[in-house]
Amino acid sequence: MEMIEVAIKSIIIGAFVGVGVGAGAARMFHAPKAQGMGAFRTLGELNACAGDAASHFSFGLGFFFNAWASSVGAGAFTQDVDHRIIPNWAAAVLMRKGKRPEDTLHNPKKMAISGGIIGIIVVAFLNLTASAIPESLQAIAVHVLVPAANLLIDPIMPVIFWLAALDAGKRSGFWGTIFGGAAHLIMGNAVPGVVLGILIGKGVDDSGWTKVTKTLLISVIVLFILSAFFRGFDIQLLESMNMAPPEWLLDFHKLLGLEVK
Amino acid sequence: MYKTFWYADWSFPIFVALLSSGIFAGTHMYYVYKIGAFNDVAIVAMLEAGIQGAGYGAAAAFGASFLFARVLEGALVGILDIGGSLQTGLGIGVPAILLASGITAPIENFILSLLTGALLGALVGYAILAIRKLTVGQSNSTFGADIMMGAGNTSGRFLGPLIVLSAASASIPIGIGSTIGAAIFYIWKKPVAGGAILGAMIFGAIFPISLE
Repeated sequence: MEMIEVAIKSIIIGAFVGVGVGAGAARMFHAPKAQGMGAFRTLGELNACAGDAASHFSFGLGFFFNAWASSVGAGAFTQDVDHRIIPNWAAAVLMRKGKRPEDTLHNPKKMAISGGIIGIIVVAFLNLTASAIPESLQAIAVHVLVPAANLLIDPIMPVIFWLAALDAGKRSGFWGTIFGGAAHLIMGNAVPGVVLGILIGKGVDDSGWTKVTKTLLISVIVLFILSAFFRGFDIQLLESMNMAPPEWLLDFHKLLGLEVK
Repeated sequence: MYKTFWYADWSFPIFVALLSSGIFAGTHMYYVYKIGAFNDVAIVAMLEAGIQGAGYGAAAAFGASFLFARVLEGALVGILDIGGSLQTGLGIGVPAILLASGITAPIENFILSLLTGALLGALVGYAILAIRKLTVGQSNSTFGADIMMGAGNTSGRFLGPLIVLSAASASIPIGIGSTIGAAIFYIWKKPVAGGAILGAMIFGAIFPISLE
């Protein structure tokens, strides 16, 4: 009985997620004119597979084994189901017979349909096969793909984005460096900070210090302060400077439900 | 073309609502059946810590700060990062906040979880459109979107060589397989990453390594 319940729910979830991811991924290729969703890394990886069905398929397959292992082990799909498996397999299905990416991968309607179908299959499969992954393939995912993807996310992407910010002009380079460094300290990855730095730098280059760019800078600073506080960065900073954090600050953290060790 | 359903701004909240609905229902699956959460082990573990009674503070704060950052960034660059905003923000952060406040129905009930996710997704979609109107729409600037797209594309090129490098660190046969695969794909004018993975998998199936 529970099996049937899980199957029906998985089909609904897979279809919803697949359609959203497919349409969002195709729309990324039309950003900033159309608002897309996915991720910069998803876009980069889809481009790296260059519209070749076999590459899209094998790239997705590697992460599929990883997601499978993670589902079996911990009940967690990994973010790759939405970021990598569905978009790349949806693209692979559409790319058969050497179709051009412009007519397939970049078309939200086709990607939504193909993503929906892939979503149903992938989600149902992951939820229903709670065992039985060949261990040798699981090992490849864990020992080859995961380290490669981790290296891409840190330090390759931060460096590439940072260099792009430096090359884009003085303002982008300056704000990219400030927020990139701060983001790596606070959030553990510089990319969001560098991206926000480019936003502010280029915004000011194009339109000056207007109400929009000023609001943007202030919201970014507020964002950094808030996430620093919620991650207990203030306490860690004091401790690494060999100072005892004051009692009221610890109490304030506790008050907001965040125990700081 | 950018006025038709599949490309227009007004249809964007619909796609976000669909995706969020599925992700939120995925958290329902995890809550009820311990399978199906759309996130990485480390992040799901924060929610699990809360379910086990260790407090939802970490999951809530982590999810909420990611959601806020990604909505702002997504509106400005034209690409919403679904990992931070929807999977972590709506899929982990919001359930953590709800569960911490003792509201369990939207997570325990499948239909309610779909509706809650859809509603929250639509809100995120509209928030992004509103920020776009106020920022990108009001000035002639694209806020460096072209630079970030360029950087995104460049970093994708690193993946092929990186896979060969980590295959070579995994074991000698897997490294050899990955190198051969990458070289063949290069000669075929196909992306190196695909060949590197296939080569590693084939050699890894013949000469297995243990899973530590």
